[in-house]
Amino acid sequence: MSHHFIRIGENLNVVTKIYGQAMKERNPKPLQELAVQEAEKGVDYIDVNIGPARKGGEELMEWIVKAIQEVVPNVPLVLDTSNIAAMEAGLKVHKGRAIINSIMARPERMDGMMPLVKKYDAYMIGLLWGPEGMPRDEHERGMLTAEILAKAAEYGINNEDIWFDPIVAPLNIQQSQLVANLEYMKMLQDMAPGALSTCGLSNASNGVPEDLRPIINRAYVIMMQRHGMASAIVDAFDDELAAVVAGKKPETVKIVHDIMDGKSVDIAAMPKDLQNYAKTARVILGQVLFSDSWLEV
Amino acid sequence: MAFEIPKQIYSGAIKSVTIGKGGKAITLGGETSYPFYVFEGAMPHVPRIAMEVWDKNPGDEWADPALAPFKDVAGDPVAWAQKCIKNYGAEAIALILVSTDPNGDDASPEAAAATAKKVADAIDVPLIIYGTGSVDKDAEVLPAVAEACADKNLIIGPAQDKNYKKIGAAALAYNHTVIAFSPIDVNLAKQLNILLGQLGVKDSHILVDPTTGGLGYGLEYTYSVMERDRMAALTQEDDKLQLPIICYLGQEVWKVKECRLTNDEAPHLGDQTKRGILMEAITAVDLLLAGADLLVMRHPEAVKLTKSFIQELAG
Repeated sequence: MSHHFIRIGENLNVVTKIYGQAMKERNPKPLQELAVQEAEKGVDYIDVNIGPARKGGEELMEWIVKAIQEVVPNVPLVLDTSNIAAMEAGLKVHKGRAIINSIMARPERMDGMMPLVKKYDAYMIGLLWGPEGMPRDEHERGMLTAEILAKAAEYGINNEDIWFDPIVAPLNIQQSQLVANLEYMKMLQDMAPGALSTCGLSNASNGVPEDLRPIINRAYVIMMQRHGMASAIVDAFDDELAAVVAGKKPETVKIVHDIMDGKSVDIAAMPKDLQNYAKTARVILGQVLFSDSWLEV
Repeated sequence: MAFEIPKQIYSGAIKSVTIGKGGKAITLGGETSYPFYVFEGAMPHVPRIAMEVWDKNPGDEWADPALAPFKDVAGDPVAWAQKCIKNYGAEAIALILVSTDPNGDDASPEAAAATAKKVADAIDVPLIIYGTGSVDKDAEVLPAVAEACADKNLIIGPAQDKNYKKIGAAALAYNHTVIAFSPIDVNLAKQLNILLGQLGVKDSHILVDPTTGGLGYGLEYTYSVMERDRMAALTQEDDKLQLPIICYLGQEVWKVKECRLTNDEAPHLGDQTKRGILMEAITAVDLLLAGADLLVMRHPEAVKLTKSFIQELAG
């Protein structure tokens, strides 16, 4: 764990009622407060998700970037929208180096957005979502990676400017996709030396009862980090997750690694918090079938 | 070096569940290998077939060839059940409480319980009671049935995640077995078994119904979920899934157009009776290969074909 793991705060999102409302009303206060709180939690970037923003997206993105950078000038932003014009409007006013979230592995999206990377000296997230949708396994992820790399080369974008996002699926319905991501991460540096990586971590626990979500996110990020994942878009307020990825919980990390290595571990003899990590790691790897009561059995 | 056939190593086994009472009680489960892989493990209890009996005359709801053998008893569930046993050698009866359907006759829980008791008293083979799948109505009907038929070790269901407490508690109180029903999803199947366990229902009193699709109409989904269930149970020691599986297929098979179209309407499909029987038997065989322990079937000829298949494979 020699590299600093980069946390991107996910919380500023149009789908959250209060922030969606603030965006609509152009009321900067709730958004600025949240940005300050995320910054206090030590996130490296703040994701600003304005959604598809079909109407007025440009003006909204410009306004929100300015409003947030006014209060947290030292935390760069991850601009999150599928509206290309809105993306450009945000990049135009952003101070520092922003991240474009995201560019899919589809020709029209790549041709539409990759010029912005060069023009505004931004990073880009290369989302492994292809013309046929979600990749089915690590090999399809590899193919989409190649597509993005080829296009990026055409536009003069270096590997070091791309954060590959293999797409995290929910554990309770697509467990094997979580393992596919781990396999993909093992291959990434061979395919794209120097490239960065990120993922929408919380999607791993989508659909699981709210209070049980964090343990899935934390156990999974340990696994991804082990295979070279450089960052993740996370709940900025999950302090334990922050501690885990910063190397402050070596005992916890070791348990998850032991499960990954197939070592025999005595789960029953562990304290409850470590048991939860061990059980969750087993479920993620498919050694145990998921159910909502997985921590109780 | 001589060739050695690779063998699957199994770390788990399916638990045994005994249904019914007395000399005709049936024990299900106990497998230590994949279905019929008797060269890799044991299948101490062969899969069984229950015959389907409705608590009302199905009339037009059943295709003619399915109703023909029961024309003389339809509308009298006791006589119907007895005919299945005497004439067709049924090893168990599945009484479907169609009359309780809140969108149909909406019969009362008391009436349904009385019918169930009459049938239970008239037969000595195990009796399965299926509600209509209506969450609220089943939660009233099945406890009433459980009480009226106390200690007969009926098999009652479907218990779903939204009504398992009432149905599970009634089964516990009156000593019956519960059918844990989940919508074609192995994770949800596991979760319901855990919840029933937390309620106090013992593994020896649970059968799993994974949702059954008929041939051409979703059978492959059921098959995949059952396969996954058996892999977890037998090779991953997932003790929450090590339970026998019940499949109610008669209704699923016979409601489709390939079974309902008459010879006049669809001469190109071949004889309707033969067609329906084969559709049902083939569905049954597929479910057996995926891991079913108890089948609920409709046509006596399909039952016969399926039985001969079981004998051939299980030896």
